[in-house]
Amino acid sequence: MSYSELSQKEKTQVLKKLREEHAETVERTQALVKKQNTIRKDIRKALADESKTVPEIAVIIDQPTHEVLWHVSAMKLYDLVAEDGMKDYVDVLYKLVEEKKK
Amino acid sequence: MDENKLKADALVVGGGIAGMQSALDLADQGYQVILVEKEPSIGGKMIMLSKVFPTLDCASCITTPKMSAVANNKNIRILSYSEIQSIQKNGSGFIANVLKKPRFVVEETCTGCRLCEYACPVDIPNPFDLNIGAIRAVRVPFSTAVPQIAVLDMDNCILCGKCARACPVDSIDFLQTEKEVEIEVDTLIIATGFETTPIDAKKEYGNGKLHNVIDGLIMERLLAPTGPYARVIRPGDGKEPESIAYVQCAGSRDETLGVPYCSRICCMYAIKQAMLIAGSLPMADITIYYMDIRTFGKGYEQFYQNAQAMGIEFVKGKVAKISEDENQNPVVRVELIDENSQIIERTHDMIVLSVGMIPKYNPSQVYGVNVDEFGFVKSPTPNLSSTKTNQPGIFATGASTGPMDIVDSINSASAAASSAASYLESVRNGK
Repeated sequence: MSYSELSQKEKTQVLKKLREEHAETVERTQALVKKQNTIRKDIRKALADESKTVPEIAVIIDQPTHEVLWHVSAMKLYDLVAEDGMKDYVDVLYKLVEEKKK
Repeated sequence: MDENKLKADALVVGGGIAGMQSALDLADQGYQVILVEKEPSIGGKMIMLSKVFPTLDCASCITTPKMSAVANNKNIRILSYSEIQSIQKNGSGFIANVLKKPRFVVEETCTGCRLCEYACPVDIPNPFDLNIGAIRAVRVPFSTAVPQIAVLDMDNCILCGKCARACPVDSIDFLQTEKEVEIEVDTLIIATGFETTPIDAKKEYGNGKLHNVIDGLIMERLLAPTGPYARVIRPGDGKEPESIAYVQCAGSRDETLGVPYCSRICCMYAIKQAMLIAGSLPMADITIYYMDIRTFGKGYEQFYQNAQAMGIEFVKGKVAKISEDENQNPVVRVELIDENSQIIERTHDMIVLSVGMIPKYNPSQVYGVNVDEFGFVKSPTPNLSSTKTNQPGIFATGASTGPMDIVDSINSASAAASSAASYLESVRNGK
């Protein structure tokens, strides 16, 4: 039987059981997601007023520039930030994209 | 029909450009072909490239129609996300045991809409972008993936169920398990491709720890419109580089790495990328540090001369060391061969290591084919029939047999298909 054929109650139970079976992976990944969410929140805050470059964001949120770029590129991929021109011809400026109401 | 037991005329192992070409050539002659690919999509390395040399045609524009042709050919069946476990002789043919890995997505119903991907809360390094960009734990591997079906990475999943709730056709299946498939075929083509020498192989070149020292394949992704940043910027800090240098033979012609051979493609891909960068960053200075420039193919020497005419600087020298200054700028220490072996240091914004080709997979154990000292499939008749192996009925093509470029891979793939077709006819006619 596939997951889609289960009732809602059964789905909840299956996910719970799988989370127990994959406890180590789930714990590690949850920690990763928590860290990602904290950094993304900080990036959003840093971009709240005006567009900024990766080095500028890195200084504000106290994270290495390569990590900030990774997060910004991830946010850009899923339409959470967008490019907003260049600064001094070498640094890309990023701005927040307003989230659509779901 | 039993989905765990399949029968075909030919089995092609590897869905890169060589494997796809072999499968298409056989299928176009009316043979039934099964194409096994270990990744979730066919396309191989070529679909990752920006453009091809020496024509500067868009790589995706060549590869995507080929992928589509494979997917839509009624004589070809693709088994993606599957790996060959063992091969047994079966008369004049073979029985292959294949492990089909679980996608945790129902292939028959998934439409590739990516709603699961948008719902997933986990961002992970994107393997398609060599981990410099991000992607979600459940995703369609890339925009032109074939099959256009999502795959869920259970090693990075928190099992929150958001993807399942977002899927409009109930395709997420957390209960999926791996499947064993037995395939009976008469002939087999190995097209398992290549890997590049690891970026951290040479400790003197930053040990893979300098963010602005990348390899040629990462630069391909930066140059591709579908790349992680959709522009050429430094992975270290997102700055647009004004000075980019290539270090040739950074993973080939090097006894210390166990790769003493020339990888054949590095000179040309470095020149190609230099020309593309000159187009996208017209103000950038581009330098290529080389020992020899080898432009062996048709139109390649002209291509090299065009690059020189465009102002790309070619410096004959051997780079001894790459370090980093306080602004993450790579500093090369180079011995200038044509200037009395003078040693100089130059600072660039970004360095690209022209890494070489090594075999992706050693098929000797599973297929019983001979390999050379480096792990490439060895033909007993390299000058007469280079796609033949020591095992009758098993042929090898593309970069699984040695370093080669796309043009040669396609030619080799057609040769392998032709040899396989001859073998099929000879077996059937009892010759």
